[in-house]
Amino acid sequence: MLGIRDVKIMTMTGGTIEKGNVLLEDGKIRACGRDADLSPCIKVIDGKGRVVTPGLIDAHTHVGLSESGVGREGTDTNEGTNPLTPSLSVRDGINMQDQAFEIFRRSGITTVGILPGSGNILGGTGLALKCKGAIVDEAVLKDPIGMRAALGENPKGNYGGQRKSPATRMGNAALLRGALQKATDYLDKLNHPRDEKGKTRDKDSEALLPVIKGEIPLIVHVHRHDDIVTVIRICKEFGVKCILDHVTDGHLVKDLMKRENIHCGVGPSMHYGSKVENKDRDFRTPVVFHREDIPFCFITDHPVVDGRNLILTASIATQWGLPDDSALKAITLASAQHLGVDECVGSIEPGKDADLVLWSGNPMEYTTFVDMTIIDGEIVYERGMYQC
Amino acid sequence: MLVVKGAKIYPGTGAVLENGVMIIDDQGKIREIGQNQSVGEADQFLDFTGKVIIPGLIDAHTHVGMWGDGEGRSGYDGNESVRPITGEVRALDAVNPRQISFAGAREGGITTIQILPGSGNPIGGLGFACKTQGTVIDDMVVKHPTGLKGATGENPKRAHGESQKQAPATRMAVASMIREYFKDAQIYGDKKKKAEEEGKPFDKDLNLESGLMVLKKEIPFRVHAHRHDDIVTVIRICEEFGIEYTIEHCTDGHLIAEYLGKKNVTAMVGPGLSAASKVETKDITDQNPAILARHGVNVCLMTDHPFLNCRYFLQYAAIAHKHGLSFEDTLRAITINPARALGIEDRVGSLEVGKDADFVVLNGEPFSYKGSIARTYIEGQLVWEREAY
Repeated sequence: MLGIRDVKIMTMTGGTIEKGNVLLEDGKIRACGRDADLSPCIKVIDGKGRVVTPGLIDAHTHVGLSESGVGREGTDTNEGTNPLTPSLSVRDGINMQDQAFEIFRRSGITTVGILPGSGNILGGTGLALKCKGAIVDEAVLKDPIGMRAALGENPKGNYGGQRKSPATRMGNAALLRGALQKATDYLDKLNHPRDEKGKTRDKDSEALLPVIKGEIPLIVHVHRHDDIVTVIRICKEFGVKCILDHVTDGHLVKDLMKRENIHCGVGPSMHYGSKVENKDRDFRTPVVFHREDIPFCFITDHPVVDGRNLILTASIATQWGLPDDSALKAITLASAQHLGVDECVGSIEPGKDADLVLWSGNPMEYTTFVDMTIIDGEIVYERGMYQC
Repeated sequence: MLVVKGAKIYPGTGAVLENGVMIIDDQGKIREIGQNQSVGEADQFLDFTGKVIIPGLIDAHTHVGMWGDGEGRSGYDGNESVRPITGEVRALDAVNPRQISFAGAREGGITTIQILPGSGNPIGGLGFACKTQGTVIDDMVVKHPTGLKGATGENPKRAHGESQKQAPATRMAVASMIREYFKDAQIYGDKKKKAEEEGKPFDKDLNLESGLMVLKKEIPFRVHAHRHDDIVTVIRICEEFGIEYTIEHCTDGHLIAEYLGKKNVTAMVGPGLSAASKVETKDITDQNPAILARHGVNVCLMTDHPFLNCRYFLQYAAIAHKHGLSFEDTLRAITINPARALGIEDRVGSLEVGKDADFVVLNGEPFSYKGSIARTYIEGQLVWEREAY
């Protein structure tokens, strides 16, 4: 049992508790509050009035896949040889020794969403993972969280340049629609076997079955407003679920977003206009989403923006009018909801995973340090260990 | 006359002015600055009570206006990497003042920038300094040229050796080509001088003219170097030719800080907040500016826009401050240090009498998230204002 005493606890679901205690047992939060009894604890950390938040969650990264400081040998982000690769699993490309994992722990990030790149129309399945350990299979929190899809400039740029389809947004949509149609027909054949002999296995349709059955969402890379509209159109045609990532132009179609109530991973907000389709990137998107009650979290798309800036992204958003508590939710609880793992992580509540960050002060303040990061009840980073 | 009053002013040089007063003339110059100025016949008063004013920020290394920001490939003009030695190209000829990056710079409180060619070539071309507001780049220029861009390490190797199967393919060739360039420029300079003395006609070589300016110490050599050994190589070559230089990026500087301090190096450190996108940047740390400053290196922070979006220059400075760069050193690293390193400190870099009235109005202290940028002024003119989304 591990206890933390005398901390301001920002729970995300139950308000903020001043001068509280947190009790951790068997990797879970056992109790939190002013009266939580720490007497059975073997070790008690004295918070000295510092702040505890849930572990931060970066819902869209390529950590371990697009490795820091390694160059081409450490890049396994896009299987850019075929625009339809739904049978790939990101789990097979993650290097847990990527130095970024250590930087994430130092930055208070305890859970990440890891997705294949956006070069393909269907890129494979993504997963949610704890930033701990050396074995990917032991770190996985949920796999799959969804099927990676992408519209807009990336797929058409990758393949159009090779004189292959997709070369246009029409081609993008047609390939996505074609794959979903094929998988729908495939499921129909599985459900109504007519000719056993003629049945051939189709690995792509097989991989899309959980999407068609509504078990997992499409996680769709979209920037431009019309790409957002297109993906909603296609998903409705097939009755499949989706969540949207980047959503740079989302505020331009806010009424549609609001009506459809689709969860959005907004970002990387600190990046520049690296493409025409994201030229209008700024903090207007999350501020409008907050005002309109469109569910969203922040993403860094690490390494596009380095994951250690996740907290900074939230701080900057407050300068544009996002309230502090909403900004913090957008990198904890809302991120957990985006990934579909909010039953386990994203807030400080009894029964949830013991993923916590101890901050030297107000987490939103630029100069505040992460003093300690805890994942599943284990201290995975303590400031001072690496300071020079 | 414009009178700015009420704010706490950090002039950048000299003491902090609580409830400061700044009087700006019609040419956009600071006529007076202090605490007890009599303010009689002003045309306009700006009362910034409760706000904080700092000098307009100077981002000493950017590619603002030339990297296709929001424009895609058609707006990309960063590297003339068809051959490795391009001393004749000028960033000035490739900058689009209407690109969104200029608006981003103003939003980020940046009033002056240096724009340099990219790092694909060992000799990349001439850079310049300009204000961040305007429609005609020539009217925005503060100084041209401010330096000759050079590059070492992975970028020139990749742009040439790997992509085009031509030299340089190794760090050895990068160094050798830089050396040969300056040797050629020396010989060229001698020939030119002789021709002038003899009154003979002489064919100008615009590529070598740039090198000659460096050799004559009219401009420094500004060299992209991340890895520690690349930094050391740059110093070695520059000392061989007795030329002035700045180290651009200086990512591994913290590993050789004592050596750099001994050499009185000026380092443009950045882009901040970055990922380790290459092998040569694997040891990137937010502590680099603090460690360099502690060892006596003249530190200027920079965004290398677009690699760190220049909108977030002040946040980068705050993070450098968090990791040990003192408040004063941090403020200097984004104002007066780069002004001096660019040779434009007579006009910008601090709020002093006679200088341009380039300043930023903050809602709180500069390195706090409560100190968001409210307004940016260039030469007394409002060029950006925060509006509610």
